[in-house]
Amino acid sequence: MSFSRNTAIKKRGLGPLFLFVFPALVVIFAVSIYPVIFSLYLSFTDRTLLYLRAPRFVGFSNYSNVVSDKLFWHSLKLQLSFMVFAIPLELFIGFLGALLFLKDFPLCRLLRSLLMLPVFILPVVSGLTWRLMLQPGYGLLASFFNSVSLGPKAWLADTKYAFVTVVLQDVWRMWPFMFMIIYAGLSSLPSEYLEAAQIDGAKFWQRVFHIIVPLLRPVMTMAVLLRMIDALRIFSEVYVMTYGGPANATLLLPLYIHKQAFEFGKVAYASAASVFLLAVSLALSFYLVRASFRGEVS
Amino acid sequence: MKRLLVLCLALMSVLLLSAAYKATINVLLWDDALTQALKAGLPDFEKQTGIKVNLELVPSGTLLQKTLMSITAQSADYDLVAVDEPNIPMVGPLLLPFDQWPETKVYSKPDMNDIMPLAFAAGQWRGAFLGLPVNANIYVWLTRKDIIEKYKDEFKAEYGYEMRVPQTLNELLDMSKFLSKKGIYGWAPFTKPTEGATCEAIWMFESFGTKVLKVDETGYRVVLDKGKAVQAINFYKELLKYAPEGALDMGHAERMAAFSSGKVFSMFNWPALIPDLENPEKSLVYGKIEYTEPPAGPAGKAAIRGAWIVAIPKAAKEKQAAAEFAYWWMSIETGKKLIPKGLTPARESLLKDPEFLKDRPWFAGIYRSLQYAVERPRFEHYPEVSNIIRTHWLNAISNRVTPEEAVNRMVEEINELLKKYGY
Repeated sequence: MSFSRNTAIKKRGLGPLFLFVFPALVVIFAVSIYPVIFSLYLSFTDRTLLYLRAPRFVGFSNYSNVVSDKLFWHSLKLQLSFMVFAIPLELFIGFLGALLFLKDFPLCRLLRSLLMLPVFILPVVSGLTWRLMLQPGYGLLASFFNSVSLGPKAWLADTKYAFVTVVLQDVWRMWPFMFMIIYAGLSSLPSEYLEAAQIDGAKFWQRVFHIIVPLLRPVMTMAVLLRMIDALRIFSEVYVMTYGGPANATLLLPLYIHKQAFEFGKVAYASAASVFLLAVSLALSFYLVRASFRGEVS
Repeated sequence: MKRLLVLCLALMSVLLLSAAYKATINVLLWDDALTQALKAGLPDFEKQTGIKVNLELVPSGTLLQKTLMSITAQSADYDLVAVDEPNIPMVGPLLLPFDQWPETKVYSKPDMNDIMPLAFAAGQWRGAFLGLPVNANIYVWLTRKDIIEKYKDEFKAEYGYEMRVPQTLNELLDMSKFLSKKGIYGWAPFTKPTEGATCEAIWMFESFGTKVLKVDETGYRVVLDKGKAVQAINFYKELLKYAPEGALDMGHAERMAAFSSGKVFSMFNWPALIPDLENPEKSLVYGKIEYTEPPAGPAGKAAIRGAWIVAIPKAAKEKQAAAEFAYWWMSIETGKKLIPKGLTPARESLLKDPEFLKDRPWFAGIYRSLQYAVERPRFEHYPEVSNIIRTHWLNAISNRVTPEEAVNRMVEEINELLKKYGY
């Protein structure tokens, strides 16, 4: 089959193939590559939102301004902390959930579907809902905290708790995503290994740690990678929950970039900061993919 | 049949030719009760002038972004845009000065003496008027009359003076302390880290006798009196003790919920939000509110002004038609027609009209507050100044730093900003 296809390609050349791929390439260039190139171009100019004249080339000055801005590093640190806390928690809960649903029990299908609901809630709605739930005067969670003598407290106005709340909101909304991917991976695992281990007397947690987890590693890596890419773009839920406050305690990198571009009008500066975000994103993805690949080989 | 068709065509041609314009204008405005009310008058305007209006309303917080992304020195997607007064210095270079607006055919320029003088001043930057003030937006002070009536004797017995609409911040504090014993919050602050928090800071600074930034012929100077600013912060912190739960995270939604549910005695509000408080379907306190100017601090009364102007971009395609629309909006006739639909006028004669005051007592509050209007710092990079002010103000009132430290940092960072932009 492969031989005949190669022969056909050799006969006709790459022209017709390219013709079929061309529309897709145009779309990818227009929606993915061009914005990145344009953002890169802007980062070397003095373009502001107030457009009075053509932008001038300013070399690396935006980049040097970004790296000398303490708030940028604060936002980057927050962004990485957010990912370090939120994603492993989501992975852990998602994994436990998937293990739970591995065996059938009454209403398990219905419950499985219901568990997925938070993923389908728009981030902005989720952020608003959490804001309302935490409202000290009439919020549902606030009432609960009051009843256990932990309130009334403006959780989102406290620098110590606002960040934790943002992480919890994300965990609540996105753990079912991890669950979905891990559950799919678990369902497709070959049952022979698990049955053999069971016959050999391996206990449940032994089977989990020595068989399930190693076999699921590529799936988990992919889930973490997808979540990381998504987490790097977190914006609307934090915007409506805290607006980056209090005292910049939740000013994650996308919010910092948005503030620079659309509140202060510093488009070029924001582009330079977003190039950093892109670099962080690429570095993390590269590392994870490589780690996953190594794991598969070993 | 043919004759009828020809007659119809002829009639249509006459009608079309008789319209003063054959133009379409794109208008970008903020979205609230006032601009929503304009929609009701559009068919009338379009019929009178032949100008088709594409009205685009966006949330006030994103209007500046939208404006700057749609208008440059060379091109403009909109023929008329609304600009909030602190952003006028920034957007100014893109706008056609008001004295260069083209002559119009249908509606005439409004009588400038009838526009509230302090609202009119909002449209001015570096000696030029850049647009027409269409919204006398200002802090209006709201006080519950029924609470005063209920507790006036008890209050007098304890404090030795009549309970009334607080005339000074000290009175507000006394009444707040008194009412806290009755389960009523004295007032509701604005503490969400947005522009509203900057307004609170400026309101308190002005009430205690200090400004943040001064602009004159020599340039910009930070003029914040640190002693007065610290006093202002400490007083605000004292007031916060008598504010509702979650006082450190209150935006418009939370303040409106607290006030309309009857939990709060007194607070400021922007005029556009007031009709909801007087709507029996949305508020438990309708008909129980008195509208005045804010109480005085040691230096006097101050009401933050947030007037909006409508301006014609230099690159607009339909300048004349845009001017027609602005003049129509500001005309007395339009005001009279649209006030019942929710329009808040900027013209003195309409604000003081007894016919409207009867159902809209807050118009009197707007008028009174406008006598004490103060502006936020005027600067081309105002959003950055505002961010510095509110960040340190909120840090201080939340006890994250001392008031002295917050004020020092505020001054230091604004000076750095001025230096960065070459002032």
